Amino acid sequence: MITIALSKGRIFEETLPLLAAAGIVPSEAPESSRKLIIGTNRDDVRLIIVRATDVPTYVQYGAADLGVAGKDVLLEHGGAGVYQPLDLEIAKCSLMVAVQQGFDYLGAVQQGARLRVATKYTDCAREHFAGKGVHIDLIKLYGSMELAPLVGLADCIVDLVSTGGTLKANNLVAVEHVRDISSRLIVNQAALKLKHDQLQPIIDTFAATVAARHHS
Amino acid sequence: MRNWILPEYISDVLPREARQIESMRRGMLDLFACYGYELVLPPLVEYVESLFLHDDPALDLKTFKLVDELTGRQMGLRADITPQVARIDAHILNRQGTTRLCYSGSVVNTRPDGILSTREPRQIGAEIYGCADIAADVEIIELMFESLALAGLKQVRLDIGHIGLFHALADAAGLKDDARDQTFSALQQKDIPTLRAVTAHLAPELAAGLQALPGLYGNSNDVLARAGSLLPAVPGVTEALTALQQLAGALAVRGIGVRFDLAEVRSSDYHTGLVFAAYAQGFANAVARGGRYDRVGEKFGRSRPATGFSLDLRELSRLPFPTAQSAILAPAGDDRALIDAVRALRKSGETVVIDLGVQPAEAHVDRVLRLEQGNWVVRPLV
Repeated sequence: MITIALSKGRIFEETLPLLAAAGIVPSEAPESSRKLIIGTNRDDVRLIIVRATDVPTYVQYGAADLGVAGKDVLLEHGGAGVYQPLDLEIAKCSLMVAVQQGFDYLGAVQQGARLRVATKYTDCAREHFAGKGVHIDLIKLYGSMELAPLVGLADCIVDLVSTGGTLKANNLVAVEHVRDISSRLIVNQAALKLKHDQLQPIIDTFAATVAARHHS
Repeated sequence: MRNWILPEYISDVLPREARQIESMRRGMLDLFACYGYELVLPPLVEYVESLFLHDDPALDLKTFKLVDELTGRQMGLRADITPQVARIDAHILNRQGTTRLCYSGSVVNTRPDGILSTREPRQIGAEIYGCADIAADVEIIELMFESLALAGLKQVRLDIGHIGLFHALADAAGLKDDARDQTFSALQQKDIPTLRAVTAHLAPELAAGLQALPGLYGNSNDVLARAGSLLPAVPGVTEALTALQQLAGALAVRGIGVRFDLAEVRSSDYHTGLVFAAYAQGFANAVARGGRYDRVGEKFGRSRPATGFSLDLRELSRLPFPTAQSAILAPAGDDRALIDAVRALRKSGETVVIDLGVQPAEAHVDRVLRLEQGNWVVRPLV
């Protein structure tokens, strides 16, 4: 049995064509079903639906053999115990620093300055500002980051931006690009070794599909 | 008051598991003895400087530290026994020629390796010092397989790799510090996109070589042939590929199949050459691992080739093990004949529990000792 961990929403939708290329079709849609384990047309493949941030954990401990996780999630998780052989180039977005309209960001990040940063991505934020030589105080938030600068909780936020719509609606502007984010295929290390013959064809098909898209 | 609660990832070993761990430990130590390994018992704590073979940030982070009140120096609780055994070989025994040592004991980690791990693994292992030949690696792997079989694991998959490949390519490319670490960790995670990004600026043949490593994976000799054509012939590469070929050949003769994983760089920081790991169904991580750590002991004043393996007995205690221990229930009493009968039975290896008037919970009683026509006889429990 091969278990694949996916999160609902964009990652699930954009993984479907890749699964289809490998001959795997889910028997139900997670949005309409409340089931957390979803069967497929193949008896030996099942999907489990978990929160995006939990995907690496399920794969790391072998509860799932494969998973699809955003690079943002993997960076925060640390990637211990999983292989991440393939950039699926789906669910693309950017990790950005954003501030309230009118905030003098360049002035605030002079060498030796100190900044209050609200984010869900504490490791990435710490790394980014350390690279710039800026001291920061981190405030870990789990959602609605955009609110933090507006109510004076933080000077800036580090968050994922795809269209920029939410920033705009809340009078924020992205001022710095931290890194590009897309989703990775991740594989449990022991599973790649023990179930190599079953997993490798799926990984190869995913790779070929991504490469074909790249060329077209 | 909840003063009976233990810290996270620290647990008691209860009777069933203890019996299994102890049975495996004895079996393995007896097995090592058959191969001529001598048992050593290094201390639980020593000065931190001698707990690491060289700069080893990962092991450093895993080590609990305290201050020695006698000297004011920093001491550490061992997080790995291998460096201690290497210290014993290099500086304490100081023998010429080959030395075979084995050990078993608890190690303590500041953080667990994973949510399914304990912070107090029971490490057992065997090491050969003073022999740079492949024959030593073959012996260690054979011993590792026999140890796992003894614990009940017959279906084991062996992966072998060679850390020298990465170091040869990284040296040729002049990768240092952060750049080397990033490349190393990308290989560790088979993170091909990152690997491409961090090696993009290198000489094309070296970049291509490093990027080829994760794909050099599988169980056929074709992997080595492909490696021969894909990897640039910089110093160290040919030697590493030859060593892998020889090892696989020698293991095949012994009925041990291997899978090559030339990006396998996941063993401890101190490994320098051939590395191997055993995987088994039902375990999310390797059940045993090891490899070559030549030049170990340099820090202790004597450079020696070394190879060895270790495993965690607590991890293996998840395997099935008979729960019941059959025992004979004997009445309490001061009758000399009864006392002699009980002694004789125990001497013959039977478990005899004395009936203290309360049902004994600790053993599985399936027979009783009874007086019949003046003789004490063992009868099935009805």
